[in-house]
Amino acid sequence: MKKWVPAASGLLAGFLAATVFFADLSPAQRSEASNDTNKSNAEKVYVPFGEKDEYYLFASGGHSGQMFIYGVPSMRHIRTVPVFSKDSATGYGWDTHSKEMLGDYTWGDLHHPAFSEKDGDYDGKYMFATDVGNSRAALMNLETFTVKDIINVPNTSGPHCAAFVTSNTEYMFLPTRFAVPIGREYASLDEYSEKYRGVMSAVTFDDKKEKLNIAYQVALPPWSYDLSDAGKKVSADWAVMTTYNTEEATTNLEINASQADRDYIVLFNWKELEKMIKDGQYDEVTGQKMIFPEKHKGGIYLVPVAKSPHGVDVTPDGKRFIASGKLAPAMTVFSFEKAFEAIKKEDFAGERNGIPVLKYESVMEKEVNPENALGPLHTQFDEKGMAYTTMFISSEIVKWDPNTGETLDRVPVQYSPGHSVAAEGDTVDPDGKYLIALNKIAKDSYLSVGPSHPESMQLIDLSGKKMEVIQSSPVNPEPHYAQMIKADKIKTISVYPKDENNPDAVYSQDQTKIVRKGNEVHVYGIAMRSKFIFDAKVERPDQIEVNEGDKVVIHLTNIDFDQDITHGFAINGYDLNIEVQPGQTNTIEFTADKAGTFPIYCTNFCSALHQEMTGYFLVKPKK
Amino acid sequence: MSISIDALPPFKKGEIPVDRKYFSTTSSILLITASALIAASLFFPWWGMEFFAPQYPEGLNIIVYPNKLEGEIDIVNGLNHYIGMKNFSEANFPELRYLPFLIGGLAILTLITGLLKRKAILFLLIGFFIIGGMLGVWDLHRWLKDFGTNLSPTAPITVEPFIPPIIGENTLANFITHSYLGSGFYMVAAAFILLIIPLWKERRR
Repeated sequence: MKKWVPAASGLLAGFLAATVFFADLSPAQRSEASNDTNKSNAEKVYVPFGEKDEYYLFASGGHSGQMFIYGVPSMRHIRTVPVFSKDSATGYGWDTHSKEMLGDYTWGDLHHPAFSEKDGDYDGKYMFATDVGNSRAALMNLETFTVKDIINVPNTSGPHCAAFVTSNTEYMFLPTRFAVPIGREYASLDEYSEKYRGVMSAVTFDDKKEKLNIAYQVALPPWSYDLSDAGKKVSADWAVMTTYNTEEATTNLEINASQADRDYIVLFNWKELEKMIKDGQYDEVTGQKMIFPEKHKGGIYLVPVAKSPHGVDVTPDGKRFIASGKLAPAMTVFSFEKAFEAIKKEDFAGERNGIPVLKYESVMEKEVNPENALGPLHTQFDEKGMAYTTMFISSEIVKWDPNTGETLDRVPVQYSPGHSVAAEGDTVDPDGKYLIALNKIAKDSYLSVGPSHPESMQLIDLSGKKMEVIQSSPVNPEPHYAQMIKADKIKTISVYPKDENNPDAVYSQDQTKIVRKGNEVHVYGIAMRSKFIFDAKVERPDQIEVNEGDKVVIHLTNIDFDQDITHGFAINGYDLNIEVQPGQTNTIEFTADKAGTFPIYCTNFCSALHQEMTGYFLVKPKK
Repeated sequence: MSISIDALPPFKKGEIPVDRKYFSTTSSILLITASALIAASLFFPWWGMEFFAPQYPEGLNIIVYPNKLEGEIDIVNGLNHYIGMKNFSEANFPELRYLPFLIGGLAILTLITGLLKRKAILFLLIGFFIIGGMLGVWDLHRWLKDFGTNLSPTAPITVEPFIPPIIGENTLANFITHSYLGSGFYMVAAAFILLIIPLWKERRR
């Protein structure tokens, strides 16, 4: 009797089931690349296809008004995100939302980007940026890398000294570079000291609505505010910023703002300012809650510093802040603890413009003077709290120990670094590993493109005993500062999810329609590989016909819910172009003020039949 | 007719039942297990097709459950319109509405057979299984043929009509498709093996 038959069949059935459910038939994981120790510089920056960079670099685009996204360590330019300037590549400035955000401005000067933070560390959710050119602040969502809100900041004229956010993104502060009379009213420069003010704006952020809002402003003295940093940990309620032209010069600042031996660091307690606003200690001016420090006392102090300082940077432990005169050879380490002590004891040297001035000696901890180093501008930190300061004039990065003042290492860069950025180097928890020098002069570094040069970014490896420049990358004008964030902190989406509540969206061909309301024409259309459908029920679904003078509103939904299938929508001869990303609904509004025949086409190459993705916009002339 | 366990003829452990119309408790347990497997298969995919192309190294999927389709159906449809293929959608397959009842019915039938222990019913059940399986294969083939051969004559890309295999690889333009049987199918196949075992075990000597 063959008893083994049922037993064997049972085993077989079990094995079959086990294989189906538990077997891992996928190919074995690729083994990690060998460790870094023996890599050449070329290998350190090479990221093969299929692997990704370790860090995102968000470099400000300066007067391009844009933000440049790079990968580190490859230093490959991944994307340019338009923020304050129009960008036809993405239709930014043409679609209704971005057009409304940009208003009538055609350019911006994006200076210092700042990530949203949680407990003093980047949370990878939002990026803030400020516009020195036209005094605006912007908010970028990092799921989509698109700008969600831009606000005009009244009274503040050129928020160069921004943006810096507090430890839990309570505030983004925008101190001004240029002093102007409040409301930007006319006032002769003879009345500079009396009528001009350097207004700082405190901006809050509503993450539900993705909106920025001005909470209050502070009418600081008519000086120039240059750079700033929020406190961390023990100093989390405080912030520091540098000033120049405390001489209140009104002409030839190069000479006249360089006369006094000392300018000031403004040290303020934002919690106290917040409380003053709550208690009504402010004046209502130009619709803003304005604190006048000479009248509404408290919360703001001045610390003397070597003349014409640029950067001021808080150490990762939040105990010290480092500043230096940009023409000086030395960095000064100041102590928050000593400052708090002096404030408590009211140990002041006097007042300037109604603000108490602390004694330099009572706040200063040490002066650090690396031999022949000149022009310290800005400091970043590594995971051990060591400082890296850019030297604009001696064109180098100096690594030094803020605890002892000892110089640890120096590396020349080409040429004249303004800022530098280390991996998460301005948070409570820097990563070390990489530092990028944002050089102002590229000169002979790259193939010549004529007299106008790119800027230069140099990647420096911090992992060894000596700093080493391992890559150099040209960049469009002009990164002033950047932020470097671990790539896995950013969680992007690749396709916009369906939003059934969006009245402008249509997700299937048969729901497309063109609706006329008087002299308005509303189009609810779709884009898909490789066609436009504006009204599926008519003979030519890809045609829009209107009368001259009609207001035209086109809502277009990209129903290709597929990664990287972006469509463009341009009307030839009508100076219009927008983009619809996968799953996105975008709107464009305009007046059909030109009669005639205008082809419609997809501008963003989408498929093999992209050339055929066209239609017609017909405008019947007025009789 | 009502049958209770008590009404079954008695037999001693290890002995072959005297009445050859009935099968053993062991076989009965096998059948009840089979019935559970069939019922469980309702929640697992029965068949699938994965599409690979240079632009889609991660693959696009059509995954067929007894009652629904899953996978990147919209994307596959969007691409298929270039060769004039009809849209895949749940509404296009009436089977998805009655298959769950057929499979559920089969599970109940298997359970009853296990409880009744009657060989004749087991034969009937195995017969159902074989006919159902053949019908299933025929139906799937019918659909594959329908989709692969009834292509729109106005499609931008003209391809020769084709019938994708039920299992295995097919190449079409830049796509390589892999058709495969899903875990639901394997569960039912295992159930079928469990059904066959009593036949062997209690065959006449």
